[in-house]
Amino acid sequence: MRNLVLSGLALLALGSSYSQKKIEFVEYDLPNGIHVILHEEHSTPIVAVSVLYHVGSKNENPNRTGFAHFFEHLLFEGSENIGRGKYSELVEKNGGVLNANTSQDRTYYYEILPSNQLELGLWLESERMLHAKVDIKGIETQRSVVKEEKRQRVDNQPYASFLTEMFKRAFPNHPYNWVPIGSMEHLDAAQEEDYVNFYKTYYVPSNATLSIAGDLDVAQTKKWIDKYFASMPMGQAITLYRDFVAQSDADFEKRYGIAKSKFDKNDFFKIKKSFLSFSSTKRLIKKMSSKPIEIKRTEKDRSPINGVIKAEIFDNIQLPAIFMGYKLPEQRSDDAYALEMLNEVLSGGSSSRINKTIVEKKEMATFAFSFNFALEDAGVEIFAAIASNGVSLDSIQKEFDAQIELIKNELISEDEFQKARNKFENDLVSANSTIAGIAENLADNRVYYGNADRVNTLMNNYMKVTREDIQRVAKKYLTQDARVILHYLPKK
Amino acid sequence: MKKIFLSSFIIFSAIANAQLDRSIMPTAAPPKANDLKESEVFTTANGITVILSENHKIPKVSFDLSMGSDPRIEGNKAGLSGMAGSLIMSGTTNRSKDQLDKEIDYIGANLSADENSIFLSCLTKHLDKGLTLMSDVLMNANFPQSEFDRIKKQNESELMSAKSDASTMARNAVVKVNFPNHPYSDVMTEATLNNISREDVVDYFKRNFTPKGSYLVVVGDINRQQTEELVNKYFNSWNGGEVYVNPTNNGLYGKGNRVVFVKKPGAVQSVVYVTFPVKMKQGDKNQLPLTVLNNIFGGGGFGTRLMQNLREDKAYTYGCYSSLNIEDNGAWLSAGGNFRNAVTDSAIAQILGEFEKITNENVKDDELNLTKSTMNGKFAISLENPQTIARFALNVIKNKLPKDYYRTYLSRLSEVSKENVLEMAQQYFTSKNCNIVVVGNEEIIENLKKFDSDGKIELLDAFGNEVKDLKKADISKELVIENYLFAVTQTKNKKELTLKIKNIVNYERVTDMTSAKIPIPLKMTDYWIAPATEAQKMEGQGMVFQKSYYDGKTGFTFNMQAGKKEMTADEMNSKKNSSGLFPEMNYATNGTNYDLIGIENQNGVDYYVVKTMEDSSETYDYYNKTTYLKEKTISIRKQGGETMETTNILGDYKDVSGILFPHSMSLTIGEMSLSGKVSKMIVNGKIDLKDFK
Repeated sequence: MRNLVLSGLALLALGSSYSQKKIEFVEYDLPNGIHVILHEEHSTPIVAVSVLYHVGSKNENPNRTGFAHFFEHLLFEGSENIGRGKYSELVEKNGGVLNANTSQDRTYYYEILPSNQLELGLWLESERMLHAKVDIKGIETQRSVVKEEKRQRVDNQPYASFLTEMFKRAFPNHPYNWVPIGSMEHLDAAQEEDYVNFYKTYYVPSNATLSIAGDLDVAQTKKWIDKYFASMPMGQAITLYRDFVAQSDADFEKRYGIAKSKFDKNDFFKIKKSFLSFSSTKRLIKKMSSKPIEIKRTEKDRSPINGVIKAEIFDNIQLPAIFMGYKLPEQRSDDAYALEMLNEVLSGGSSSRINKTIVEKKEMATFAFSFNFALEDAGVEIFAAIASNGVSLDSIQKEFDAQIELIKNELISEDEFQKARNKFENDLVSANSTIAGIAENLADNRVYYGNADRVNTLMNNYMKVTREDIQRVAKKYLTQDARVILHYLPKK
Repeated sequence: MKKIFLSSFIIFSAIANAQLDRSIMPTAAPPKANDLKESEVFTTANGITVILSENHKIPKVSFDLSMGSDPRIEGNKAGLSGMAGSLIMSGTTNRSKDQLDKEIDYIGANLSADENSIFLSCLTKHLDKGLTLMSDVLMNANFPQSEFDRIKKQNESELMSAKSDASTMARNAVVKVNFPNHPYSDVMTEATLNNISREDVVDYFKRNFTPKGSYLVVVGDINRQQTEELVNKYFNSWNGGEVYVNPTNNGLYGKGNRVVFVKKPGAVQSVVYVTFPVKMKQGDKNQLPLTVLNNIFGGGGFGTRLMQNLREDKAYTYGCYSSLNIEDNGAWLSAGGNFRNAVTDSAIAQILGEFEKITNENVKDDELNLTKSTMNGKFAISLENPQTIARFALNVIKNKLPKDYYRTYLSRLSEVSKENVLEMAQQYFTSKNCNIVVVGNEEIIENLKKFDSDGKIELLDAFGNEVKDLKKADISKELVIENYLFAVTQTKNKKELTLKIKNIVNYERVTDMTSAKIPIPLKMTDYWIAPATEAQKMEGQGMVFQKSYYDGKTGFTFNMQAGKKEMTADEMNSKKNSSGLFPEMNYATNGTNYDLIGIENQNGVDYYVVKTMEDSSETYDYYNKTTYLKEKTISIRKQGGETMETTNILGDYKDVSGILFPHSMSLTIGEMSLSGKVSKMIVNGKIDLKDFK
């Protein structure tokens, strides 16, 4: 047993020869299911407050795409206690910044505030989680804004539809089939009730991770978290509460069989696990509290692409471009690290194989690169190149193919291997250079990997990968007979 | 049972304590003081100012070396500095590009360069290696021809792509309208790219990358002593010339609103910038109140006037912002965003309305307070990044600001009043003299005319250059030429014309010329003797700089640098077509390749534009549609890889012996411009060409 401890220490010492500094944090669950992560660090008097909701475009109804991203907009509109448009004003007035983003897998909200405003940040996020305003006025405003966002980011940008086109073909049987911006027709067709239901299903304590980093006192922060978050209704009682707040008397009574007037608003925040119930209202709240809100999780998608799928896309562009996609396993897969290193060899830095051959030596493309798009249920390795004037897309594809064959047939050199390791070490150090970055990394690792501490051990995962692993995953996933090939061509 | 009762009792009491009124916003604890750490500054013997900002939070260090010279106007080599910037990392006398790339990537570092700086960032443990590479690039970059050719080709492709990228097109137009005759309006085009040679790039690097006046900003996991040792080790032997100082103009202030449009076929949205230059330098006493104004207007977050009006209220856009850019050599303001086609004009009207409103009325107290708190907070947040502290120190030194400029930032900010803000708006903002740049679908042009003070919308191309919008000519090319000849000879038919020309046997003309770039007055004398003898000389202060002679059989050119050169057969041939009292006389008979390409409107005057073509040159002559007099000639000549463009504006036609000759000219050759007035013109006098024998 002693020996074991010793060798553990030796490993630790080895680990410290990497430059990463350990990120200390505490984490715990609230009874209503919110997972809390706190990282204390006093170098600058600021604090990052973030909430990650485990809902992304993959949770959408195929006829209501774009909802997750739409909610990211809608939830800045206000709440029971925060007036319309005041959300951002409150943050900015108090010297903070805020924003949010949405992926296929999650929606992430954050504020960076002066550390004396931490309680404000907690209150704001609790308002959003408990009783945000989801009504027709806000929906209509944000619907137009989101349409403009799509025009600006996708429709009016050369090549910008490539992810939409790629995912549509790579994921015929999985909700990655569409991308977060979604369909404007779906947003138009949706009724207020669709929006309310989305909020009730996904914006609930049990689907949230509250991650806070910066100049904070853990004991005091826990007290505030108890005050604003632990007090929120459990299970389906939060749905009952939201209906109590938003529905008309008639609708509410029809739905629950008890008149709204019988309820005291405070009751929703009082009943915990008490075994005693004195009234029908409290009984109902208790009953609802004990029923968890079920979220239907999506399945992993390991099905291969069905043969070679080719398509031509005509866009407002001058130079043709090629995008090739290969299906990858989910980001938690054991192969994920080798795949990232494979991509680093192919496309990381100026000395990478793709840049050296396709861009510099053969001058076939103005830009050429590959990237590893790893998601919760599956991933795609995308090869992309914008052709140099007069170079055919087929010849670029041949060159990509040659590079892929090369990596399958010959082990990468020791130099390239070490280079990839050094690159990841540098990236990991940089990723944790701001408190906002730390809050987000802790939350992501907790939600996607069930382990926030992965921020501290990630380098080990890369160190375990061998050159043979890289060759093996290239052979396994970069299959020439199962891929999507998109040709982007100028509109006539 | 008892036990259970007890525990629920405890729960009740606990919750009673936590009773919470959520409608009450929490109050803040007192703010913590935010220390602004001092940066350390020292200079080296070869003239580098080193600024160190220590920060040991993560084990990384960055070295950012930037040059102190002002930019030059690149003119027909626009894009040279950018080209040079992208070639600096192309290898050194010690390392090929492949080797260099490999060694950088091997330590996971970022080593990059642009036209004015070289930047290194890496893990502390790799710093020695990183600096070895950085100093090698700085002192031994060797710009291989093969890399030059490759980057040139890449630029050609990128220029093509730029034609489909609305944001790039809009940025190009903005610099062109705000900063004519200024380094900022140098935008690379296919033509200027062609004029740039490897030697230009080498020369640029040598001139600009000199230790004198340069700044080295060191940030991160390193202390003073280590910094001094490393700077000494790696930058001690770097040397170079003097720093280049070139004061530039402050931009062009418009009179009336001016709409410039760049066509982007198929666009679903327009990119709009309402923009104008601002007279402002870093550290100006008005910079902070002007920044407050801009942040209330559209430079802040979601709460700004532009954002609230155009996004939150009207939903015209995903984002509408204004930005106040205060750079080393000029400042400007731009307000705008992306708007769908149907609301582009409404959006412009709203933006102009917001400009108008903010220059007429005080801002509201809550707007001012919101903006000041936001700026206060952002300042605090920005201090998390050690680069900020170093940037502050750099600004203080570079712009000669008071040492405590950033230490007093928050107190100065707190003093900005709404009266200050209105004063700033009235001094710097305008709703009436704006450049309105729109990149978008042609179908919306008509809706934009109302914003232009003269109702005429200027069309620019993707690179911000004027688009020649030609109308179809209403007469034949032969008739244009004939009418021109009738006009200058003041005749009415061919018979009169022939007779009049026959009577002219020679002329002598003296033109006095001046140029901003040449300190002495110049005198040009030119002669013509029928049928085809021409001679020309340029002199100043008694010296002859240039001479040329041609008589139909022999010819030569002479200039002070190159000496005398006989004309080649090609040059003779070309001369043959362009000589004569009026070369146009011979178009019909000597096979000149010419075309009437259309009618162009310039400054409200219509011109017939006639293009003549030869192997290595093309010329555009502009004949006034009403008078038929020739008022402008643009000739574009290709020589080797270079293109030389000459523009000559002719005017002040006067009658000399019955013929109208222009008496004023304004000549632009590449970057050089000359203006001339004819001081003597004699027809059929006595001519002595002994100077040319």
